[in-house]
Amino acid sequence: MEFFANLPEFSTVISQIFVGLSRSMILFMVAVGLTVSIGVLRVINFANGTFYMLGAFTAWSVALWVGGTAGFWVALLIAPLVVGLLGLAVEAGLLRRLYNRPRLMQLLLTYAVVLLFNDVTKLIWGVDFKSMRAPLSGYITFFDGLLYMPSYNMLLLISGPLVAAGLWYFINHTMTGKIVRATATDREMVDALGLNSNKIFAIVFMLSCYLAGLGGALIAPTTNIVVGMGMTILINAVLVVVVGGLGNIWGAFLASLIFGVGESLGLLIAPRFAIVFPFAIATILLILKPTGIMKSVW
Amino acid sequence: MKKNRFAISLFLVMMLLLTALVLGGCEDPEPAEPPPDDPEEAVFERNIKVGIVDTYTGPPTVYTYDALDAFELALKEINEEGIHGVEMEFVTRDEEFAPDQALSWARELVTREEVDVLCGFMSSASALAVSEYVREEQVPMITWAAQSEQITGEAGHSYVFSVVPNTRISGRAAANFLAELPYTRYALVGSDFEFGHAIITRFWDTFQELRPDAEVVLETYWPVGEADFTPYISSIRGADPEVVVAAPGGADQIPLTKAIGDAELTDEMEVYLHIGTDHAALSALGDEAPEGMYGSSSYHYYYPETEENLAFAEMFYEEYERYPNFVGYNGYITAHLIAEAFREAGSLDGEAFAEALSGLTIDSPVGPITMREYDNQLIHPFFIGKTAEHPDKPYLISTDITMLDGEKIMPPVEEIMEVRGE
Repeated sequence: MEFFANLPEFSTVISQIFVGLSRSMILFMVAVGLTVSIGVLRVINFANGTFYMLGAFTAWSVALWVGGTAGFWVALLIAPLVVGLLGLAVEAGLLRRLYNRPRLMQLLLTYAVVLLFNDVTKLIWGVDFKSMRAPLSGYITFFDGLLYMPSYNMLLLISGPLVAAGLWYFINHTMTGKIVRATATDREMVDALGLNSNKIFAIVFMLSCYLAGLGGALIAPTTNIVVGMGMTILINAVLVVVVGGLGNIWGAFLASLIFGVGESLGLLIAPRFAIVFPFAIATILLILKPTGIMKSVW
Repeated sequence: MKKNRFAISLFLVMMLLLTALVLGGCEDPEPAEPPPDDPEEAVFERNIKVGIVDTYTGPPTVYTYDALDAFELALKEINEEGIHGVEMEFVTRDEEFAPDQALSWARELVTREEVDVLCGFMSSASALAVSEYVREEQVPMITWAAQSEQITGEAGHSYVFSVVPNTRISGRAAANFLAELPYTRYALVGSDFEFGHAIITRFWDTFQELRPDAEVVLETYWPVGEADFTPYISSIRGADPEVVVAAPGGADQIPLTKAIGDAELTDEMEVYLHIGTDHAALSALGDEAPEGMYGSSSYHYYYPETEENLAFAEMFYEEYERYPNFVGYNGYITAHLIAEAFREAGSLDGEAFAEALSGLTIDSPVGPITMREYDNQLIHPFFIGKTAEHPDKPYLISTDITMLDGEKIMPPVEEIMEVRGE
C-alpha cells in the first residue's frame, strides 16, 4: 500500500479546499466563543464544547417539534438563542462569583459545568444517537464541474463569513462592542471610567455560548448527536485559539481556515495519516510563532 | 474452674463439628453429580443459570435488547421441553460499555449469583477482560456481539466461545465475495481503531491472494465519531477507485451511510460497507440509505426464505412487533447452543459444558451450525447483498443475496495456531 496518494485532479483539489473551508466554519464558531471569553473575561471556558453539544440537541428537538424542512430553519433560529440564555444563566449564577478567584478555580468551575450538563443532557435526551435530516441534500456543481460539493456544506461555507461579518460589525461599530474591545485591552481602565464591566462580561459570555450553540445546530444534520460530541471539537478549538493568538477573533478565524483546509488537503496528500495533519500544522505554527499568528491580548 | 471446663467442652464440640464437616466433604464431594458415561439419563438438581453481561445504556441497545429479547424467546421453547428435568433461567447486568464494569459484574455473577455460563458482550474490550477472568475461574462464556478476532484468536482458550463472525471472518468473507467481481482498483477506508483496521487488513490480506492483479488506490481512516464525512468522500472520489471497502465503527455507521447516499457515490463506483445491510442500520436510516450499495450481515430475517427462518422471524415479530437484527439472532442461537450443550454434557460442571459445546452442531433458523472445535468460533454462513427499495417496507433491504459458506470463510486452523503461538 502506498504512502502517498496518486496526484489528484485539479477539480478534486479545488473541491477539497472548499469542503475544508466549510468545515472550518463550525470550528470557527466554537473557537471564536472560546477566544472572546479568554480575551475579555480571562476565563478559559471549558464548557464551550458542551454548549455546542447543547445547540445540536436543542436543534434536534426543535426540528422534531416543528417538523419538515421548516423545522431545521426554525431550529437554527431558536437553538442558539436557548443555548445563549443558558450561558447567561451560567454566567450570572456561577461564573460571576469567581472572577476574582485564581484561574484554576474558574477552569474547575467550567469543567464542573461540562459534567453537569452532560448528565442533564443524558436525563433529558437519553444516550441514544440522534440524527436529523439536512434541509438541503445532494451535491451542487459550479464552474463546469470544477467545484463539486454537498449543498449543505455550501450553506456552512456561507454562514461562517456571515457570522464573522456580524461580529466585526458588533465589535467595531457598536458602543457595546467598543467597550468589549476596551475591556479586552485594559480592564482596569474600563472600570475606572465607570462602565459596568459585569454587564459586558455577561453579554460576551452569552454571545460566546450563542455562537457555540449555532455551531452545534449547524453540524446537527451531518452527524450523530450524542453526549460527548463537544469534547472533540473543544480540543481542536483550543488549538485554534492558541495558534490564532489568545483572544484574537481574526486569529481564530485564520487559524480555523488553516486547520480545516490543512486537514482536507492532508487527506489528498497522505490519506492514511490525515488525522495528524491539523496537529502537525499547529505544532509547526507554534514553533515558528509561539504567541500565535495574530496578536495575543494576554 | 467451671467456666474453664465449659470452654474446653465448647472447643471440643467445635472441633468435632469441623472434623465431621471436613470428613463429610471428603466422603461425598458432589453427590448429585451424575456419572459422565450416561449423560442422557442425568437429572439436574437445580435450574441452569445464565449470566448476561451486556451494554444496556446508550446507542448499542439497538443490538443488545434484540439479543436479550431473542434469548428470552428461545428460553420459552427450551423450558417447555426442559433440560434434564430442570429449566434455564438468566440474570442481566449492564456494563455500560466499560470493560472494568463488565469485569466486576462477571465476578459478581460468578461468585454471588453462581451462574453456570456467562454470555452477552457488545464490547470487545469487555469480552477480552472477562475472558481472562473466566479462564482462571473455569466458567464458560459466549460472546454474541463483540467482533474482535483476538477473543477466539490469540486470547482464546477452552472456556471462551464466539457466535458472531469476527473481524478475521468478515474480512475474508468480503474478500471472497469481491474477488468474483471484475474490479481491480480499490479504496480501503475505516474508523481509526482496532476494529476498522482489523477488517481492512484481513480483507486485503485475503483479497491479495485471490486477486494479485488488484491495487489499493487509497487507504484512509477517520477518527471515531467523525462529524462530517464530506472530505473523505471527496478524497475517495479523487482517487477514482472501482470499489470502496468501508469498515465504519458502530458510531460512524449511520452518518457514513448517509454521506454515501447524499454523495450518490454508488452511481460512480461500487461501495461495500461492512455490516451495511444489517436490519438495524437499514431500518434506522429509512429512505436515507443509498440504493445499490453492497453490504454484509450474518443474518437477515427475510433471507434465506426457508420455512424455519421465516417462522423464527414471525415468532419474534409477534412477540415484539419488530424484526430481529443479526445480534438478536445471535441471542437466539446462543440460548439453543447453551441448552444443547448442557443436554449433551449431562452435568452442570463448567468443564463438561465447555467440552460438550466445543464441536457441537445444532439446527438453527438458517440451517445446521457448528461450534468449531479448535478455537470455539461458530461456523456460520455470511450474507452479502445489495441495498434496494422494497414496496412494502419504509426502509431498504438487501437483495441479490449471496450466502457464503461458513466453512469457506473461516480462517484455517493453522492461522489461529500461528497467532496463538502453538
